[in-house]
Amino acid sequence: MERSVWGQKALYQEKIMQTPEAANAVEMRGITMIYPNGITANQNVDFSVRTGEIHALMGENGAGKSTLMKILFGLEQAEEGEIFVNGEKVRFTSPHAAIAKGIGMVHQHFMLVPSLTVAENMVLGIEPKKAGLFIDYAKAVSLTKEYSEKYNLVVDPHAKIADIPVGVKQKVEILKALVRGAKILILDEPTAVLTTQETEELFKQLLLLKDQGFTIIFISHKLKEIKQITDRITIMRGGKSMGVHETAGITEQEISRLMVGRDVILSVKKDAAQPTHAVLKVRDLNYTNEWGKQMLKNVSFSVRRGEILGIAGVEGNGQSELVEMLFTFEQPNSGQVQLNDTDILGKGQDELRKLGISYIPEDRMVYGAAAAATIEENLISDRFTQKKFNKGPLFNTIAIQQESDRLIKEYQVLAHSRKQRVQMLSGGNIQKVVVAREFSASPQLIIADQPTRGIDVGATEFIRKKMVELSRGGIGVLLVSADLNEIMELSDSLIVMYNGEIVAYFEDTSSLADFEMGEYMLGLKKQSEEEIRGAMHE
Amino acid sequence: MLQQILSSVFSTDFLASVFRITAPILFAALASAVSERAGVANIGLEGIMMISALSGVLFSAWSQSAFVGVLGAALMGALIGLMMGFFYLKLGTDIILAGIAVNMLGGGGTIFFLYLFTGEKGNSASIPSKMLPTVDIPILKNIPVLGALSGQSILTYVAFLCVILVFILFYKTPLGLKIRAVGENRNAADSVGLSVNRVSYIALAISGILAGLGGAYMSMYYSMGFNANMVAGRGFIALAAQAMGRGEPLGTMLSSMLFGAADALRNNMEGTGLPSQLVSTIPYVITIIGLSLYTASTMNKAKRARKNRALREKKGDAV
Amino acid sequence: MNNEKRLDLKFGIIRGAAAILVSIGVAAVLIFIMSDTPFEALRYMLISPLSSSRQIFGIFERMIPLMFTGLAVCVMFSANQFNLAAEGCVLLGGFMSALCAIYIPMPPVIHVIFSTLIAIIVCGAVMMVPAVLQTKLGANVMVSSLMLNYVIQYTVQYFLVNKFADKSQGATMSLPFLETAMIPKMNYQTSWGFVIGLVMVLLVSIFMYRTRWGYSIRMVGINQKFSGYSGMKVGGIVVLCQVIGGMLSGMGGSVEILGYYDRFKWRLLPGYGWNGVTIAILAKNNPILVPFAAFFLAYLSKGCVNMSIYTDVPSEMLEVIQAVIFLFFAAENFLAKYRQKMVVKQAKSELKHTDAKAAREVAK
Repeated sequence: MERSVWGQKALYQEKIMQTPEAANAVEMRGITMIYPNGITANQNVDFSVRTGEIHALMGENGAGKSTLMKILFGLEQAEEGEIFVNGEKVRFTSPHAAIAKGIGMVHQHFMLVPSLTVAENMVLGIEPKKAGLFIDYAKAVSLTKEYSEKYNLVVDPHAKIADIPVGVKQKVEILKALVRGAKILILDEPTAVLTTQETEELFKQLLLLKDQGFTIIFISHKLKEIKQITDRITIMRGGKSMGVHETAGITEQEISRLMVGRDVILSVKKDAAQPTHAVLKVRDLNYTNEWGKQMLKNVSFSVRRGEILGIAGVEGNGQSELVEMLFTFEQPNSGQVQLNDTDILGKGQDELRKLGISYIPEDRMVYGAAAAATIEENLISDRFTQKKFNKGPLFNTIAIQQESDRLIKEYQVLAHSRKQRVQMLSGGNIQKVVVAREFSASPQLIIADQPTRGIDVGATEFIRKKMVELSRGGIGVLLVSADLNEIMELSDSLIVMYNGEIVAYFEDTSSLADFEMGEYMLGLKKQSEEEIRGAMHE
Repeated sequence: MLQQILSSVFSTDFLASVFRITAPILFAALASAVSERAGVANIGLEGIMMISALSGVLFSAWSQSAFVGVLGAALMGALIGLMMGFFYLKLGTDIILAGIAVNMLGGGGTIFFLYLFTGEKGNSASIPSKMLPTVDIPILKNIPVLGALSGQSILTYVAFLCVILVFILFYKTPLGLKIRAVGENRNAADSVGLSVNRVSYIALAISGILAGLGGAYMSMYYSMGFNANMVAGRGFIALAAQAMGRGEPLGTMLSSMLFGAADALRNNMEGTGLPSQLVSTIPYVITIIGLSLYTASTMNKAKRARKNRALREKKGDAV
Repeated sequence: MNNEKRLDLKFGIIRGAAAILVSIGVAAVLIFIMSDTPFEALRYMLISPLSSSRQIFGIFERMIPLMFTGLAVCVMFSANQFNLAAEGCVLLGGFMSALCAIYIPMPPVIHVIFSTLIAIIVCGAVMMVPAVLQTKLGANVMVSSLMLNYVIQYTVQYFLVNKFADKSQGATMSLPFLETAMIPKMNYQTSWGFVIGLVMVLLVSIFMYRTRWGYSIRMVGINQKFSGYSGMKVGGIVVLCQVIGGMLSGMGGSVEILGYYDRFKWRLLPGYGWNGVTIAILAKNNPILVPFAAFFLAYLSKGCVNMSIYTDVPSEMLEVIQAVIFLFFAAENFLAKYRQKMVVKQAKSELKHTDAKAAREVAK
């Protein structure tokens, strides 16, 4: 009988307890952190790192690993728990304090000033001075060279940040941490922006640093890389720690099972889908971003009328770029996208809406809603020029009011009145306003990007039910979600994206198992060409 | 008539007047550059110049020393800069609105305070303010074109010197590095523990000092004493000069000189029978045209850069 | 109106009042420093405008151009366009309508309408220059609009001095307007322009809140990205609001010139455009509040003028007051701590209310 997930965790915890007290560079005990919107990011998490090891912190987005490290680096404070650095109890209220104790963090989005040189970025805030008044630039350069050579992180001190490739930028970030005295390095998804070649180089450097006694915490979800250079792995899921394991002693499949899985399966009641012909056809989409990384590789699929097609995958594997191609002015390097046989690439949002596309954006407060405007004003933003809402030059206020009231009622938006400002509503209700507008526009295709992220259970259930209702009525729905429950239960068919490619297509999701999903999402498995081509319906 | 204009343009006198007219614009443009690089737009330059012009007059009259006058003007400029910072950073007033308020203050407030201190309303002719000394450079002044460099007021030289000083500030001092970092990537500055607020205050103070010097220039050399309409939009022209100069000291100097030359041309054409009012519009029209051409070209450059990168990828070049 | 909104409103009024008090306080301090008769000066500044019906009508008189430029700036600021060329458009509009008033004879009422219309059209067209330069070429509209003011000023000066001056007069001025073009007065003092102004307030309010163009202008100002994603043509909307701003300012210039002058005498920018910015800030870009803000400013203006006539304090005190109001009115964090206290107090009282309600339920 296979040990349950919890059983596995317990086994490994035992093993750790039995090891003699190795010098722990970092020890976090019982960390609990709850965000203001009520979401528990970390729940009673234990996390410890031995001095001189490369330790991986793994988990899907939302698992809590970034939050845990933010707490360690002083960017956030935990409600409960203790932190020990090199045996000393600490409480960091700012990154400054963490840096002072020898912790350095390399963020996923670089904190570098583009027009300054490498050397200048290195010494920002700790500038060496000449005659008390001027920067000793030569000293800054020699400092950079010194650290660069010592740790074999080759950078040109005189190069401008804007001109150097991403891989070099990362080296600068690492050097920045080292020059400020870091002995413990936290790297947040360092390979997300690197090409394969750059990743190899990075690993060489990390191993060198390890040899020199540095402790490295490596946040990632990329299984192969973790297997390659880390000593131990801590896996997080749903805000909890799933235990720590020796890298050598655990298989990729086992990691995948621990990482990707649902503790509670929230099924969505729905009738079987009866999809007809395709409403959206995406063919051979290729896109390389401005830093030279190819984010979409020959992506081809169709969304059919009457179905919900989900795009699953860990964030950062091309899903956002794909959605951008569909609804913004962003153009791919090659490929076609057609809505009902009309090319839509590069078309403006007003045209796209006229053609019948509705869009629920990931960033709802920037693109989906106008916070300082009223609910009513938000609801009519895509249709206020229509004849039925205008009487000559003036608005037909009664028609608009009726429309707003109807939508507020139908979508169960909890508000005092339609004249209430959207910013005063709860997150779930704001999203319901966005959804109300987008769904009621009589679309042919709905693109929903993280539609229920960060909102309450009631609103979530409602929105999902609506999506099913609409798809059964003949609309095609493209759902992008990092929430495993959502993507597996809500989608009728689903595509898994990994590294910019489609690695799996499942026409029927009802018998899909969590661990299978995990393996595709983490790049362990890939379907055959033929199976993937199944996604291209006519 | 064209010949008349051309012959007067290519003369030492004309060149000298270009320097003279550029100087106050240059001061204000450099002021704008410093604050802009730090990420705080200072559009209250017009107001600061007016207030400092009055301050220079008052301080010099009171102390009977031009030097004290200039010092007082610079000090007032710094104080106003700091005040703008206070309203923006502490009280949350939009920095643009704060700039507009300063301009308003400069407009009516100067007349008010002039009256308060001198009993006059239109100008300060009644009080014995000092003028800035001019500097004659012995041999230089006799050489044809270079002679323009001699006989300028001391602040004219200071203005062009400030180009170098601002350059040194930006690129050779720790403060300048901090200013550039804060203005370009606030997060990067935060992440190394820089106090963005402190840097903003300092940048606004420096900006105020430079604009203050520009104001002192107007009332203590360009004109004799203070009068109500003396700054005439130079503070705004400086904004355009700064935009065209991209916040770089050298570029700022060149675009300031462009507008200075346009203004000098206007003075030159006054004798030629072309209507003076229309000629007066030349500097402003050139500003609009210059600004548009410049921003159009940068927009195109960015588009071209992106296209090039995409093309390179297609060709398979290693990135 | 729910509790939060009521709180916001209450707090907004308190903060606005505080800003005004601070600025008057500053003015009072300055008056005390400089004047030999400070109390008298303050009396003139604060009370004299209400002292007689003639004074009050004087306030109405001053309000007229302010309402127009206030409306113009409200429209432009509603879309976050910091276009400051209302100033130049007032001058240009006045000039264009003056020319029509002098050289194009027409029957009575039609003459006024025609002259004003010309002013409106010309100013609207001129405003397209900075607007389009920004939309198509990215040129900062604040700078180009400021430059435009000066271009307009000197161009109008040129034409006035060289082409349209009445050489028989000592000072520079145009030929006299034809009677048919002048806007008559309602009473001995206030021209019908006042009513025209109020009508425009109504029309602009309706435009901003009850038409699709006004709606789109406001949405673009609230969240430009959202508007674009909803399918609105942001570029066109941005240009439109500035053209409207130009048209309204031009109209204001025309109404002022035809209402109070018999010849065109303006040589410099009259300053109403800058006042328009103050009014827009005070009115929070809401057209309906423009007359109130205009009244307030006109009141202060009259008070300062009276003060300067009868005492030794110059009228420019007005600009000082305006600047201070500006700084404090737009300060978001001004009295923020006080707001926090109000929020806490209200939360506590709400809690008590629900507790009492619960207790009553239990007692039943």
